[in-house]
Amino acid sequence: MTQIAETSKPALAVGCKWGGTEDDPLVLYPEGAMKIHGTSLAILALCDGERTFTDIIEELKRQYFGADPNRIREDATKFLETMQEKRILDY
Amino acid sequence: MPSPSHPLALIAEITHRCPLHCVYCSNPLELAAASAELQSKDWLRVFAEAAKMGVLHLHLTGGEPLARTDLEELITAAHGAGLYINLITSGLGLSRDRLRRLVDAGLDHIQLSFQDSQPERADWIAGTKSHAHKIEVTGWIREHRIAFTANLVVHRQNLDHLEETIAFIETLRPGRIEIAHTQYYGWALENRASLLPTAAQLENALRVVERAEARLKGIIRIDSVIPDYYAQYPKACMGGWGRRLVLIDPTGKAMPCHAAGVIPGMVFDNVREHSLQAIWNDSAAFQRFRGESWMQEPCRSCDRRTEDFGGCRCQAFLLTGDAAATDPVCTLAPTHQVVLQAVSTSPANVVAPSTLTENWKYRPNPGRV
Repeated sequence: MTQIAETSKPALAVGCKWGGTEDDPLVLYPEGAMKIHGTSLAILALCDGERTFTDIIEELKRQYFGADPNRIREDATKFLETMQEKRILDY
Repeated sequence: MPSPSHPLALIAEITHRCPLHCVYCSNPLELAAASAELQSKDWLRVFAEAAKMGVLHLHLTGGEPLARTDLEELITAAHGAGLYINLITSGLGLSRDRLRRLVDAGLDHIQLSFQDSQPERADWIAGTKSHAHKIEVTGWIREHRIAFTANLVVHRQNLDHLEETIAFIETLRPGRIEIAHTQYYGWALENRASLLPTAAQLENALRVVERAEARLKGIIRIDSVIPDYYAQYPKACMGGWGRRLVLIDPTGKAMPCHAAGVIPGMVFDNVREHSLQAIWNDSAAFQRFRGESWMQEPCRSCDRRTEDFGGCRCQAFLLTGDAAATDPVCTLAPTHQVVLQAVSTSPANVVAPSTLTENWKYRPNPGRV
């Protein structure tokens, strides 16, 4: 697992792409597919290779206004690093 | 038994032609001739139907799928239909330009097979000179943004230097390494006495894989499973009969798995005559072992029946003569003795390429008949 940096720009890893339907989105990868919903969807949708990790956290704070910002950062960090380890995300 | 609404993946065995002659090939012993193959337009219709049903993944395999000169056209259509496209290949038949055309057409993932790290042994197992070309192909793959898996089929003749082979594959920089233990169907079953690993080899291989996984974490993903002759319980073959996957053979026969043709009395509907949806829902072949009503004891009352679905029907038939029996690799199977016997009576020799060749049964190339 690689630690994410403030300037990291996460994007779907090589060989991963969005699939499924708008109501039931999936990330497709060589060996299968993963259903993505709720906060995972909110985070992953921001991983466009343009936004930095800092940008993503700021945007999540706006989307989840009122939630504990430290908690948002903690959860997003954990999620992004897990997705990187699973080779779903590159940064 | 009501059918699951749709399969998740379509395995398109688009040809049985192949320049390689691998001794563990999973193709049936009776290979389809080129003249019997489906035409492009048939495949195009099938891909459109599959995508409409909700199929996510297309696995283009063979034989060697590159032997089809219309591969670019097939990929373009499958990509247009929204399928995720995997190409399972030896790389023979690929040039730098052709790969570029396949990627431009929408290829998502290429799985390139390797037989060994040592060129002489690799070419011996494949029955043809192919190793050097495969290495060249990896350089071209890395020029593109597509997923790259290196697949290594392992068996008694290459397990002893697995560590060296993984180190070799690492230098080719795949995103994923699949270490596939030989499964004993088709040509592999014919050659089982030369391929079945020993328990000691397997023990060692498990440790080698664990070390590689730890070392390559986050860089290369390694997928490996225990070969079923040595497992406690059977594999959930194909994710259960007619539950997740549909395979179409080169002639258009729709089958629940690669080997189902070995089971006596199976009749496979053909996509030339029926829609994929109709075959999935109603065909006798897909209904035959769907659900649990066909199960015998000990499967019928076993808690694991919803996990492994009784194991593999083809293996049950090939080893016990009864396709509805519990897969004999299961330690609970009344016929488990046949597997124990195969393991205990198998030779343990690892040989030099020059000495075994006369005993190999190489898979032939059905060619342009």
